[in-house]
Amino acid sequence: MKGKCYIQGMAAISPQHTFDGDLLSQPMAVTQGNMLSCVEPDYRAFIAPNSLRRMTRVLKMGLAASLKCLQDAAVAVPGAIVTGTGKGSLQDTERFIKEIRDFEERALNPTPFIQSTYNAVNGLIALQQKCTQYNNTFVHRGFSFEHALLDSMLLLSEGKPDVLAGAFDEITTEHFFIKGRIGHWKKETISSDTLYEHVSPGTISGEGAAFFLLTQEATAQSYAQLSGLQMLYKPSPEKLQHALGQFLTQHGVQPEDIDLVLSGANADSNHQHYYDVLNSYALGTQLPFKHLCGDYETAAAFALWLGASFLKQQQVPLQWFPMLKEQPRSLRNILIYNHFFGEQHSFMLLQKVDQTVSIKG
Amino acid sequence: MEELKQKLKVQIIEALNLQDTRPEDIDDNAPLFGDGLGLDSIDSLELMVLLERYYQIKVEDPREGRKILQSVQSMAEFIQSKQPA
Repeated sequence: MKGKCYIQGMAAISPQHTFDGDLLSQPMAVTQGNMLSCVEPDYRAFIAPNSLRRMTRVLKMGLAASLKCLQDAAVAVPGAIVTGTGKGSLQDTERFIKEIRDFEERALNPTPFIQSTYNAVNGLIALQQKCTQYNNTFVHRGFSFEHALLDSMLLLSEGKPDVLAGAFDEITTEHFFIKGRIGHWKKETISSDTLYEHVSPGTISGEGAAFFLLTQEATAQSYAQLSGLQMLYKPSPEKLQHALGQFLTQHGVQPEDIDLVLSGANADSNHQHYYDVLNSYALGTQLPFKHLCGDYETAAAFALWLGASFLKQQQVPLQWFPMLKEQPRSLRNILIYNHFFGEQHSFMLLQKVDQTVSIKG
Repeated sequence: MEELKQKLKVQIIEALNLQDTRPEDIDDNAPLFGDGLGLDSIDSLELMVLLERYYQIKVEDPREGRKILQSVQSMAEFIQSKQPA
């Protein structure tokens, strides 16, 4: 793909303290139980009380994260708003469905119906920022965020100066129960910080919202360059291994150039073998991240936020990664590999913004 | 009538999730939209649903709705007019 893609601003709401303060000084939030919930900020700083009263959780999370991301990049009206979500607003969907049952399909409230649509967050961002530009939401299960990212990169290569890209997903008690019935979650109840000690069928659930202001050109404030993105649907481990080698070659990177791999490994014994493919290359340190955010369709957005933070700060918050005993020797290239229950797989290549290229601002 | 107005205020606060408002903060005759409670067009739909759910009254004509939803007083009067004597 011609053109470049830089992360100029970003914000995340997650089960960790990612929204406010300094990443390096925040303690790791640990959840006892298999359902990780977001640490939510005070939304009143971002959303008017009259609007806030109507919004459910994921809408508030998505809107607040997007607004903080725009603030971070000092951009008021982005050239496009592109998001991905696996489930949209579950709370609204559940409320609307329950009301259909309780009121026998009559006297239904409009609000949960309106907000249960997947593009509700995009609409709220556009209304709040008075943005009449391109606006799209991708709902493609484990590829939702990746497709939003791909669309954003295409828009940049077509000449859009900047694009607001993001992802949001929530978990509810009811949905946790439903997905538990098809074996998504571990049967044993664990503490999130001991996730990788419990390799067994299923994983832990999570949620989060992360937004990125992507631009064609770097500035001194840029977090990182998103140099590559690739998606693979239900690959065999052999095909995955071959594709990873090709992906690195295509982007002019040797396996040994990768300083850090953020892997979506989640202690799910049903799909662990895919992550073992990473071991067939001489890559740098592998760090799993699902103990921090749990698993959900758009968890790769959290990984992208983490990777870009590491590159900007040139440090890894060691308190979040007890498996890492010391800081990596250098942090220039980060590979993110994630998959969603063995079906949707993705690679992302994040690179430190090269100080030798011309930087604006 | 007083009892009905009190009940309506509680139902409005609950239906519209008016978090910092108590029933005693709502004046019987204050406009619900614009300057009063500052409600908007989606709230008016929610109030129509409230009338249907709790009082089995369906407002078909939007012009009629505008008059009915002027204040708690006008809503209560309308509900009372629809109830069997």
